[in-house]
Amino acid sequence: MEIIINGIREGSLLIWSMDPEIIRVTLMSLQVSLSALLIAACLGIPTGAALALKEIPGRRLLLNITYTFMGLPPVLAGLMVYLALTTRGPLGQYQLLFTPAAMICAQILLAFPIICGLTARTVMAQQQEVYDTAVTLGASRRQAAQAIIRESRIGIIAALTTALGRLIAEVGAVMLVGGNIQGSTRVLTTSIVLETRMGNDSRAIGIGIILLTIAFSIIVFINLLEKRSFKNDAGIQIT
Amino acid sequence: MMPVFKLHNISKRYGQREVLHIDKLAIAERKIYSILGPNGSGKTTLMRIMALLTRNDTGTVQVLGEDIHWGKEQVLNLRRKMTMVTQTSFMFEGSVYSNVAYGLKVRGKKEKEIRPAVEKSLHLFGMSAFIGADARHLSGGERQKVAIARALALEPRVLFLDEPTANIDPRSAVEIERYVQFINREFGTTIILVTHNLFQARRLADEVFFLWDGKMIEKGSGQKLFEQAEDQRTRSFLTGETVF
Repeated sequence: MEIIINGIREGSLLIWSMDPEIIRVTLMSLQVSLSALLIAACLGIPTGAALALKEIPGRRLLLNITYTFMGLPPVLAGLMVYLALTTRGPLGQYQLLFTPAAMICAQILLAFPIICGLTARTVMAQQQEVYDTAVTLGASRRQAAQAIIRESRIGIIAALTTALGRLIAEVGAVMLVGGNIQGSTRVLTTSIVLETRMGNDSRAIGIGIILLTIAFSIIVFINLLEKRSFKNDAGIQIT
Repeated sequence: MMPVFKLHNISKRYGQREVLHIDKLAIAERKIYSILGPNGSGKTTLMRIMALLTRNDTGTVQVLGEDIHWGKEQVLNLRRKMTMVTQTSFMFEGSVYSNVAYGLKVRGKKEKEIRPAVEKSLHLFGMSAFIGADARHLSGGERQKVAIARALALEPRVLFLDEPTANIDPRSAVEIERYVQFINREFGTTIILVTHNLFQARRLADEVFFLWDGKMIEKGSGQKLFEQAEDQRTRSFLTGETVF
C-alpha cells in the first residue's frame, strides 16, 4: 500500500515538476500512438465499411481473419515488424528498426484489425431501412453507404477508443522494434518496465498514473469531438 | 397519357417460394392507387419492384417510359423521380431540417436552394415549429408528417406510401390522409398506397389492386371493388371473413 501511495505522490511530483525526461517520453508516447491510430483509422474504417457493405469474394473469410487478428499478441506484431525491418528483412534497406517509425508500424498492425473489425460489425448491425431510406430519397449507392457509416459513428468511435486503449498501454511491440532507447524510442510503457526492473517502483507507478491520465484525457476528447453522436445515447432506461 | 409504370409478366421468388407473379399492370399518372391484400400477399414486394428497390426475377418493368435494365445511372435517375414513406419512417440522426434537406443535398442542391424548399415543405404540413427539433424525438404522427414533408420537398412524380398510418393515432391518420389527397390534387403526384386498411383504400384510391398469394386477383375502382367484388376471396377479405 505504501508503494502505491508513494507512487501517487511521485507521479504528482513528476507532473508538477515538469521533469524533462518524462515530458519527452510522454510526447513520444503520444506521437507514436496517435500517429498509429490515425493511420490505422484511415485504413481500417473504409476497409471495415467495405467488408460490411460490398459483395467481395471471400468476405466471410476476410472478416474471420480480421476478427482473429483483433486479438493479435503485441509481441507477435512486434516480431512481424522486426522481421520485416531487420537488415536481412525485405524492408531492411530503409533502416527503420529502433526508430519511432518502426514503433508506429507495429502499432498500426495492432490497431488496424480492431478498427476494421469493429467498424464492419457496427456497419453490419445497421438496419436495411437506413439504406432504403437513403436510396428512396435519391442517394446513389455511395451516398447511401456514407449515410450508413454516418449512422454507425457511435460504434466507430467505440472502435477508435478501443484501439487507442490498446495502443497507449501496449509495451511488447514497441519494446521489440523500438528498443527503449533513451531520448529516441522510450515511451511511457517501456519506461515503466525499465523503472520496475531498476527497483524504482514508486517512479514506475507515477509514470503509470501519467499514462492513465493521458488515456483518459484522449478518450474524453474523442467523445467530445463527436458529442452530437452521444446526445441520444441515453441507453436503455431501466425503471 | 404515358403510364408511370408498366409491368409485364413479373415474378419474384424467395428461395423456393414464388411470392409475386403479376401478368400485367399499368399505373397512370396523377392518380391514387391502393394495393390491398392480406399479409404475405406480395404487396410490399410489388411496391419495392416498382420503386426499383428489389429486382424482379422474370418479366419486364417499365418506369416513366423506360425499360429497366438496372444500370446504375438509369436506376439512380429514375429513383430520383419517386420516393417512399413507410410505416415506421426512419429518421437519420440529426434535426428535422437535416432530414428534410437530405434528399436535396444528395441531388447536389446548394444550401440557398435547400433552406426555402425545406421550410416550404414543413410549412405545408404544419411542422415549421419542429425545424430544429431532434428528428428521433418526434411522436409517431409528427414523424410521419416530417417523412411526408421530406418526400414532398423532392417534388416527386410518384410517392409510395407503405402503411403510412399503421402506427399512429386515428386523428393523425385522418390528417395524413388529407395530406395525401392534397399532394395528389395540388402537385399531380401519382400515389401508390399499400395498406391493410380497407376503409382508407376506399376513401383515397381511384383504383384498387387486390393481391392474394402473390397474384393480382381483382382490380377496379374502390367503390366497385367494395360493392361488387367478383372474386370470392376478395369478398371474404372485405367482409373480414379471412383469418390472417
